[in-house]
Amino acid sequence: MLEVKDLTKDYGPRRAIDHLNFKVNKGEVVGFLGPNGAGKSTTMKIITGFMAPSSGQASVAGFDVFENPLEVKRRIGYLPETPPLYGDMFVADYLSYVAELKMVTKERRGALVAAAIEKTNLGDVRHRLINNLSKGFRQRVGIAQAIVSDPEVLILDEPTVGLDPKQVAEIRDLINGLRGQHTIILSTHILPEVQALCERIIIIHQGKIVAEDSIENLAHMGASHSRLHLRVRKDVEDLRKVLNAQQGLLKVERGHSGRDWIVEVESSDEAISNVASSVVQQGLGLLEMSQVKVDLEDVFLKLTYGDKHGARAMDPRGHQVDRKGV
Amino acid sequence: MEREPWIRGVIKLIGKESRMSGAITIFKKELKGFYNNPTFYLICGFIATLFSYVYPISVKRFSGLLESFMMQPGIPKQQLNIHYSVFVQQLSYLNLILILVVPAITMKLFSEEKKLHSFELLMTSPVTSLQIVLGKYLAAVTAIFGLVFLAFSYPLATSTMATVNWAPLIISFFGIFLVGGVYASMNLFCSSLTEHSLIAFVMSVLFNIAIWFIGMGVEVVDSEWARKLFEHLSLSTHLGNMVEGTIRTSAIVFLCSVIGFFVFLAERVIESNRWR
Repeated sequence: MLEVKDLTKDYGPRRAIDHLNFKVNKGEVVGFLGPNGAGKSTTMKIITGFMAPSSGQASVAGFDVFENPLEVKRRIGYLPETPPLYGDMFVADYLSYVAELKMVTKERRGALVAAAIEKTNLGDVRHRLINNLSKGFRQRVGIAQAIVSDPEVLILDEPTVGLDPKQVAEIRDLINGLRGQHTIILSTHILPEVQALCERIIIIHQGKIVAEDSIENLAHMGASHSRLHLRVRKDVEDLRKVLNAQQGLLKVERGHSGRDWIVEVESSDEAISNVASSVVQQGLGLLEMSQVKVDLEDVFLKLTYGDKHGARAMDPRGHQVDRKGV
Repeated sequence: MEREPWIRGVIKLIGKESRMSGAITIFKKELKGFYNNPTFYLICGFIATLFSYVYPISVKRFSGLLESFMMQPGIPKQQLNIHYSVFVQQLSYLNLILILVVPAITMKLFSEEKKLHSFELLMTSPVTSLQIVLGKYLAAVTAIFGLVFLAFSYPLATSTMATVNWAPLIISFFGIFLVGGVYASMNLFCSSLTEHSLIAFVMSVLFNIAIWFIGMGVEVVDSEWARKLFEHLSLSTHLGNMVEGTIRTSAIVFLCSVIGFFVFLAERVIESNRWR
């Protein structure tokens, strides 16, 4: 449905996005995740035809964004970071105008506007001036304008930013409700959001894709190594010496005292039980050993901010990725 | 079946027409914006008040002149013509008003879109930059038409009391309307350059004033060729002809090409946003 090839954009000497490649299939909900300034908005602006890339290609439904911009724009609904609203228009009039602008035929317009109002729950404010609406409602009007032309692809740039938790939940429900009707790409830097909404995540950092996979796979990305929290009775100078001969040992990290340690080992039952038996054999007095759950947040932080200790992280395909190069 | 080339041409043209629907959509929206906006009526009210104050004075002066011209043999003939002594004077006031009012009408057309981020909506809709600019330009011109028509209602009212020579009157108002169109195109271009309405306004007024000084180049050049060039570039030469009631092709071509030039520039500025 949507394909991006070698997309690059320079703002003067600064490279905002660097040879991006990804595909989105029909009907998928894809989360575009990254810290602020990673290049999410730039990528979205290029896909929507708002901006031209410095090099590379993007295509929607087989139409190149630059060869056939009108065909592409006809198929896209876009919610920019700031919803594009005219404060002096009424909600229903505004949606009707957007529908007309998106080349929706006169016969279908009324029905589509009504459908968009219903989906976004704007019925009560349809005859109010947009200027007088609260931020949550404005955001909903923004989403309504994106879906009013019944586009094949929906591109939402940080749809929940700046909203209160209740509004965030409402917008999430709304987007969940749109699943299946459109191919949706949404960008965010909020993790629970992608977890709640998306089937697949593309993590982008400093203009490059650092991971691209389904949520389960990404969450299990840490599963190639297990993180163990150990508490022992005796103070240990250096646990590393104790576990030195251990196979599959990746990292030993001191907690807040010589009795608390974090150990990373390869994810196998054998490696984990070996850690336990070594500690016990040395007579350190094992009080507690628990597996620290690696969740999406860890993966995200690791991929975008790098590991504090400069360790090499794994990418989802199991290749080693040098953090410095990303 | 192979169609005749002219049929294909017509089909292509109709296809183009339907593609202009984007411009029509924007035109309708902007026009509604003008006519639903209190500012526009404030401007109309201001113009109406001004003319209601000034126009009767010049009519009265003219009628006084007619009563007493026997006693003053030195009066130029032109002044005894209502067209020159009343209508043309009104046109010069109207021109002054348009210099200040057209920027107020057009200043928001693009700058506000950029400020509200609705520009992103326009740029990601299936309309070309040219359609966007044309839609907005036509809306501005239609609003100006309303203002010119408001001014025209004064001579129209006068026609109930005096004999009016319609052709030169209409032509001269058409002339000022075209000049308004020139202002609109320049000011639309100014609006496309910035996202601050105020900057667009100031820049527009400067443009509108400056264009009247181009003709002054006639005074400073020696060669016949350059003198003719400046004469042709002078707005007052062309408007002057129309005010006297003569339509010249050169005037129409000149005014329309200035309009076309600035609409083109505005379109380029809008399109260039994609590349920045």
